[in-house]
Amino acid sequence: MIETVGITKTYNQGKPNEYRALREVSVTVEAGEFVVIKGPSGSGKTTLLTLVGGMARPTSGRIFVSGREISSLPERFLTEIRRQSFGFVFQSLNLIRGLSALENVMAPAYPSGEPHTRLRRRALELLERFGLAGRAGAKVEWLSGGEAQRVAIARALVNDPAAIIADEPTAHLDGALAAEFLDLLAQLNLQGKTVLVTSHDPRVWTGRAVSRVIELRDGAVVSADGTP
Amino acid sequence: MILAPNVLALLVASGATALLTALAACHGVGILRHWDLSSGSERQLALERRTYLTSALVGTVLSFELLSLFLFVSSADRIAPLLIGAMCAVGTLQANGYGFATLYLKLALFLLSGLWLVLNHADNLVPDYPLIRPKYLLLLVLAPLSAAEAVLEALFFLRLKPDVITSCCGSLFSSAAGTETDLAALPPRTALIALVAAGAALLLCAFWTARSQRRLAPLLLGAAGTVHFAVALAAIISAVSPYVYELPTHHCPFCLLQREYRYVGYLIYPALLAATVTSVGVGALAVGRAETAAGELPRFRRRLARWTIAAELLFLGIVAACIATSQLTLR
Amino acid sequence: MLRAVERHRHLLDFALASLLRRKGKNAALIGVYTLVVFLLGSTLFFTHGIKREAARLLAEAPEIVVQRTVMGRYEPVPADWTEKVRALRGVSEVQPRLWGYYFDPGLKANYTFLVDRRAEPGKVLLGAALSRARGAYPGDTISFDAFDGTFTSFEVTGVLSEASELLSADLILIAEGDYRRLTGAPAGLVTDLAVRVPNAKEVPAVAEKIAGLFPHARPILRSEILRTYDSLFDWRGGMMLAVLSATLLAFLILAWDKATALSAEERREIGILKAVGWDTGDIMLMKFWEGCSVSLLAFGAGSLLAYWHVFAGNGFVIVAALKGWSTLYPSFRIAPYLGPEQLITLFFLTVVPYTAATIVPAWRAATVDPDQVMR
Repeated sequence: MIETVGITKTYNQGKPNEYRALREVSVTVEAGEFVVIKGPSGSGKTTLLTLVGGMARPTSGRIFVSGREISSLPERFLTEIRRQSFGFVFQSLNLIRGLSALENVMAPAYPSGEPHTRLRRRALELLERFGLAGRAGAKVEWLSGGEAQRVAIARALVNDPAAIIADEPTAHLDGALAAEFLDLLAQLNLQGKTVLVTSHDPRVWTGRAVSRVIELRDGAVVSADGTP
Repeated sequence: MILAPNVLALLVASGATALLTALAACHGVGILRHWDLSSGSERQLALERRTYLTSALVGTVLSFELLSLFLFVSSADRIAPLLIGAMCAVGTLQANGYGFATLYLKLALFLLSGLWLVLNHADNLVPDYPLIRPKYLLLLVLAPLSAAEAVLEALFFLRLKPDVITSCCGSLFSSAAGTETDLAALPPRTALIALVAAGAALLLCAFWTARSQRRLAPLLLGAAGTVHFAVALAAIISAVSPYVYELPTHHCPFCLLQREYRYVGYLIYPALLAATVTSVGVGALAVGRAETAAGELPRFRRRLARWTIAAELLFLGIVAACIATSQLTLR
Repeated sequence: MLRAVERHRHLLDFALASLLRRKGKNAALIGVYTLVVFLLGSTLFFTHGIKREAARLLAEAPEIVVQRTVMGRYEPVPADWTEKVRALRGVSEVQPRLWGYYFDPGLKANYTFLVDRRAEPGKVLLGAALSRARGAYPGDTISFDAFDGTFTSFEVTGVLSEASELLSADLILIAEGDYRRLTGAPAGLVTDLAVRVPNAKEVPAVAEKIAGLFPHARPILRSEILRTYDSLFDWRGGMMLAVLSATLLAFLILAWDKATALSAEERREIGILKAVGWDTGDIMLMKFWEGCSVSLLAFGAGSLLAYWHVFAGNGFVIVAALKGWSTLYPSFRIAPYLGPEQLITLFFLTVVPYTAATIVPAWRAATVDPDQVMR
């Protein structure tokens, strides 16, 4: 489903502080896989996710999503593909403060122009699925850690993407919450979603549902077919 | 010099417009010089981001230009009592050499920025920016025009002396020499027949463009749109105005915007401008090499053609209604 | 088509919600914006209203007023001119008029005396402002110093209606005999002639004929008076706006600054939106709706306040700068009138510069990198 061919990402090109975050990375993720990208901090895990997720463009190399090359697409075409293909869960959750849980879940779908009532119904169903039906109207800053985390997952799912991308999802979580989160990811993977997670947390890459581990070091792939 | 509030408002607007167009052109130069779609460099990314700014800027310019076109004419009308001999907008605009020049520039800027937005929309329909060069070259034309408009407009109002004797529309469009007079001297019946013919041709071409995939159809539509615009202006001066005013000698195209005539000009002119921008836009798209846009472009072309049809029907409908309800019969 | 409308609706909703979330910052901006619209709008509405008022009053004035100049100075007109002017083609009526000024040292104000058939001998009618200033109402007695130093009293029989107060504030209507006695104006001379010419196109020709008939005559056309009023008030309004443009500039700098200085919170929010599937165009559209809402609110509130201020409050804030060629301020109300042209002009002076000033900051905000939320 996702394929990168020799991608390189250089920050601050041509300046004294030039920095190559990724070198010639070629990896493939098949549909339905649960892949963990591991490596120490600074190894380029997050950069790889941003490139695969279409949030930034590689300096060279190509990226294919569902057979379509996205690395040279202008932003206005990329966004549509991103909405259909990926749901994002961030390390610090990144919910929008001041908005309710429901509004946070609906926000990614606003530009698609879906009729409001239908979108609202779908978002409510998602919240219900994660046991948050009663908290739909609550502002996100009043939610507990676990609730906020589930709102973040619901938001990632609102456009019904083919894959879920999560960046260091367990970094700030205690044992119980981390386990709950991994359970949710495993369930989604069972329902057919591709899952791509970065982590340097052993709790993540030793999880039962994980099908493959890719290891990065200094911006290059060390091994691409590690087993959990 | 005339320092009326609406004059100040116009000067503020034309200054702002010139500034925005100049800004858009500056970004356009960067895009023309360094554009390299195959590159993933940070500079290319920055340039692609600038395309968002330029479209927003030109969109704003278009709306400012449309509003200021009407405010300019109505101000000229309001100022007329201050000038001896000027009885309506025409007299004011004639008071010095800059009046009509400013008006024509405003009109040209409106049409060109409308055309630019049509090109821009088509360009954004496909990922490989097929029209990026023609689009930004057009922008480089737009910027000096807009600056010239601001300067001419300022000169026009500065040089306007409230005691100069000017002609009024009665004499401009009836006896004196010049293009406007030639237009007024056009036999009304001929002008109306020409208008109906040009309108029918425009509608036919638009229908054809909306139905067919042939490249000839949009090219013809563009040509028909251009001809129709000229014919329509001539017909408004020579025939439509007298019908609306119910005076065979009154040919002024601006009095249509006045309350006495139920502001009918505020429907006629926007409809005509919309029909012109959409039809000429379709033609320009067919001239520019935008064939790469396989699926999306024909759909956009059909949509534009449908807009042309709607605007033209509105335009012809109002003109017909004006003539039908008029007490006047011209031969 | 419907999807596009729905997209606009969503983004507008989001823009409104985000405005409400930053009440403090936006309230200050909207407040200043409203104030600017109010000040410029008041000037505009007032200038236009007063011009309309003057035009309305002059609509009943004679097409030509004939005066006489001797040695370049104004002199009374011989009453026997009347018949000769009346004989001209195109003239329907000629009215000899007798009027003049009177300085009241007590009030330090000039009055205008006008001989009028409505005033019976020994009685006068007063303009409303004058009646208020002198505290003289119908039934009271009012006295003036005559030219020969005698003290003459009249009975006040009426006060002129306020509808036309702009030009009649300081007016006193008096009978002819009384006026000649008061001022010593010799019999056989009048102040000027009011000439009626029904066909507007014949007015210049008639004026020329009068000038040819009497070499000392100085015909003044109504259209000239109208033109003078128009340019006078346009000029005053324009000057006032030019002065206010400093306020406008200050406001634009404030708006630019507010739009440019994004808080960390706002940057983060835009980054999140772009990361979860909005593109630069969506953010710009959202910012566009934000700007529209702010402008609409400020423009609406500012114009309503200005309307109220000018037509109900008599323009108490700006009146001194715009009116004031006479010591007796008429307290007239301008007939409420608001045309599309005034609104468009006001729009051009406020919303257009605001839009121009915020478009680049909005774009800058919209180009926040989505991957910054990952860092």
